Amino acid sequence: MLAGSDLTVIRRGRRLLDGVTLAVPGASLTALIGPNGAGKSTLLHVLSGALTPEAGQVRFLDRPLGDWPRADLARRRAVLPQSSTLSFPFRALDVVLMGRSAHAGRSSHDHDLAVAVAALTAVDALALAERIYPTLSGGERQRVQLARVMAQIWTDDDGEGQGRTPRVLLLDEPTNNLDLLHQHQLMRFARHLADQGVGVLAVLHDPNLAALYADRMVVLADGRMVADGPVDAVMTEAVIARVFGLPVTVQRHPTRGTPHLVPV
Amino acid sequence: MILPFVSLAFASRAFASRVAMALLLCVVMAVPVRAEPPERVISVGGAITEIVYALGADDRLVAVDSTSTHPAAADDLPDVGYMRRLAAEPILALDPDLMILVEDAGPPEIIAQLRETGIPLVTVPDEPSIAGVRDKVLTVAEALGEAEAGAALAAEIEAAHAAVAERLAGVTERPRVLFLMSIGAGAPLAAGAETSAAAVIALAGGRTALEDITGFKPLSPEAAAAAAPDVIVVPERTLEAMGGAEAILSRAELADSPAARDGRLVAMDALLLLGFGPRTPEAVARLAESLHPDAMAVR
Amino acid sequence: MSGEVSATATVPAPGQDPAAWMRRRGGRTRLALVAMAGVLIVSVLLSVGIGAVAISPAEALSILAGQAGLAPWTDHTRVQETVLLSLRLPRAVLGILVGGALAVAGAAMQGLFRNPLADPGLVGVSTGAALAAAVVIVLGGALPLGLAGVGRDLLLPLAAFGGGLATTWLVYRIASHDGRTEVATLLLAGIALNAVAGAAIGVLVFVSDDQALRDLNFWLLGSLGGVTWDRLLIAAPLMLAPALAALVLARPLNALLFGETEAVHMGFDVERTKRLVVVLAALAVGSSVALTGVIGFVGLVVPHLVRMTIGPDHRVLLPASLMLGASLLLLADLLARTLVLPAELPIGILTSVIGGPFFLWLLLRRRGLGLW
Repeated sequence: MLAGSDLTVIRRGRRLLDGVTLAVPGASLTALIGPNGAGKSTLLHVLSGALTPEAGQVRFLDRPLGDWPRADLARRRAVLPQSSTLSFPFRALDVVLMGRSAHAGRSSHDHDLAVAVAALTAVDALALAERIYPTLSGGERQRVQLARVMAQIWTDDDGEGQGRTPRVLLLDEPTNNLDLLHQHQLMRFARHLADQGVGVLAVLHDPNLAALYADRMVVLADGRMVADGPVDAVMTEAVIARVFGLPVTVQRHPTRGTPHLVPV
Repeated sequence: MILPFVSLAFASRAFASRVAMALLLCVVMAVPVRAEPPERVISVGGAITEIVYALGADDRLVAVDSTSTHPAAADDLPDVGYMRRLAAEPILALDPDLMILVEDAGPPEIIAQLRETGIPLVTVPDEPSIAGVRDKVLTVAEALGEAEAGAALAAEIEAAHAAVAERLAGVTERPRVLFLMSIGAGAPLAAGAETSAAAVIALAGGRTALEDITGFKPLSPEAAAAAAPDVIVVPERTLEAMGGAEAILSRAELADSPAARDGRLVAMDALLLLGFGPRTPEAVARLAESLHPDAMAVR
Repeated sequence: MSGEVSATATVPAPGQDPAAWMRRRGGRTRLALVAMAGVLIVSVLLSVGIGAVAISPAEALSILAGQAGLAPWTDHTRVQETVLLSLRLPRAVLGILVGGALAVAGAAMQGLFRNPLADPGLVGVSTGAALAAAVVIVLGGALPLGLAGVGRDLLLPLAAFGGGLATTWLVYRIASHDGRTEVATLLLAGIALNAVAGAAIGVLVFVSDDQALRDLNFWLLGSLGGVTWDRLLIAAPLMLAPALAALVLARPLNALLFGETEAVHMGFDVERTKRLVVVLAALAVGSSVALTGVIGFVGLVVPHLVRMTIGPDHRVLLPASLMLGASLLLLADLLARTLVLPAELPIGILTSVIGGPFFLWLLLRRRGLGLW
């Protein structure tokens, strides 16, 4: 659905991305992992269209990103940023409603409001609706932002916001500011979206968290793609030791059977 | 048609720069021929106000500007603000039937607005010379309908000045005078050529120590040292602001000057010294007493 | 969220209804907008009605009716007529235009910089415009022939616009990095640019002749006085058009508050929005500065007052700032021209006397809220 081929980004003579080819298919959750400075966020921004690569091309539904009208693209592709600073006292509900900007002229205010409320409810943040966004905790903000990006790509094909329109959600280290409970809530939600047909790409720091929810794992190191495949195939002692420089043994999750890293 | 006398007065004099010609036109156009002398007068400019008082017409003043500090009674009149920052409506509210302005008054937009309302405006040229004082007196007097008193006052001023000039006639040595004026913080301003200060210094038989610069410019310490003034002249306000005569004369750039050596520092009221109003002969005489004490001494 | 997740979810407060809350807030917002329009109307009436020359409402109406071709019914004087038609009315119109333009430019720049402390004066834009205009005033005589044909009334706003544009762009480039704007860098860049432009103005003052110096002095202190209908006619579109055009930037400005990348992701043409805000703000501030000199703090105080009463949404913030800025400047000018009768205070001094302490209070309040 969203496909980047041969992506290269050069900044100050350094190759942040070097010939990366990556596709995000629909109805899947792809975890992008790698050490600090590997180029994960850069790749995400190139895929979202915020960054133009020096070489290579990103296509969404077989159409180059640059050819998409901005609003059309925004209704099908949303990005959850690492963190959102906001110095102005907007209410959480206002923030979520901003996600509906790309629907201006196509959706009534009442409908936008219904979508925003549904999105807040979906991420378990309806109680925050009237709170002032800058006064929320990091975790609360992240959930409100998640509701915002949900509202942005909300479709009504099936009346529940989960229709068949091809959609992509890019998550940039979404669990950074979250406590344990909310980390898992967020990932479960991302999994749920993928099961509904959304193509989800999540930059994650914690391979164990990724392994629990993703069905595919991509490993990036020094701007190059090191591994790409099903979680079981990628999360091996050899790959992890080579990429992170940390000797590990791979165990199994006691109930789910997914791979679980333990440092030696 | 009766030409206003004022235009004849101007035309009869050799003094006629282009600026003066332009102003002359304004005067001719702005002063309608009237039988009754004006009764509600606003005077803008310290020297103008002094002349109004000297003509005994102060009972007709309804307001003055903030530079009108002499005589002390002028302070009790309503103040229309600094002469270069006038406001139109408050002036109209005073319902004047004559407004006498020194030529520096402004801003030009406001003067234009006032002119459009039809208030008689008389703009008085400000030439730093005794002839200029005479013109000012005659212009103001004419505007007030006091031509005779004006002629008498002008004659009196010229006579007073002639007396001073006569005493200085034999003087050949021209002391170098540094005029300093402090405005706010920073280096004080010094008077160069083509300033009112240079003009009054010349009348008193001196010459400005900074002849190479024109206008009032921030004092460069090295230029001041190189100028080696014989006498330093400051307004009284500046004397206070700069910490007194001792403080000024002991400044590094002035400490080696003849002025510091002989302790020759003169402080005078700024309006008296630079106003070029009716008190100018007095100012020249007082300055000359410091520059040429021998010549000015009573014979 | 899926069922298993909901089990651990916090339950929304009972009776909570965001739709009803939004409706109530929408009602309050409309009420506040109507109130601000009311304040503006009252400000205009006060400004036109009060002054050194007494003009009763009946006389004012009669004078206006006379202008409209009707028979005047009061026995007013010619001075009253002149004061109302040639002094107070153009001055009130200028106050509305300048106050509105400065406030909208301030609000839009705060959106662009993603920082509520950006102010055209504070970040050096006004000084940049002032410098360019000062160049025209002082060196105007020495301009190349091609420009001599352009009247000074037009050249001055254009120069101020150019100066404002250059400074806004410079400040933005210096303070903006990776889609974020550092508040410290922003304010420091503003201080530095203010210093540089201030020094350049000082050089101009030094080399200028007496006449230019006088023009310069009047104009650096700021005043609404001396305006004529002719000059208004030239400058009004230059101030009104950008202020109104800025209103359509409300949505992208809202999105821009989260960062440039986020706004791109939300589907906005961020580069175009940035360019537009810079150009419109420079045009509005530049032409205001050209007509009235530097009037500080309006662009800072007004958007803040609006945010405190209505909220930060640019869709209401911009029009509300337009109205409140116009009101504030009219009232400040009313004080400036009546406090020290028969003289006038420079309005820049008044707005700074009100704005300076307000700014300090704002800093303390923000620190108290932990927003920094």
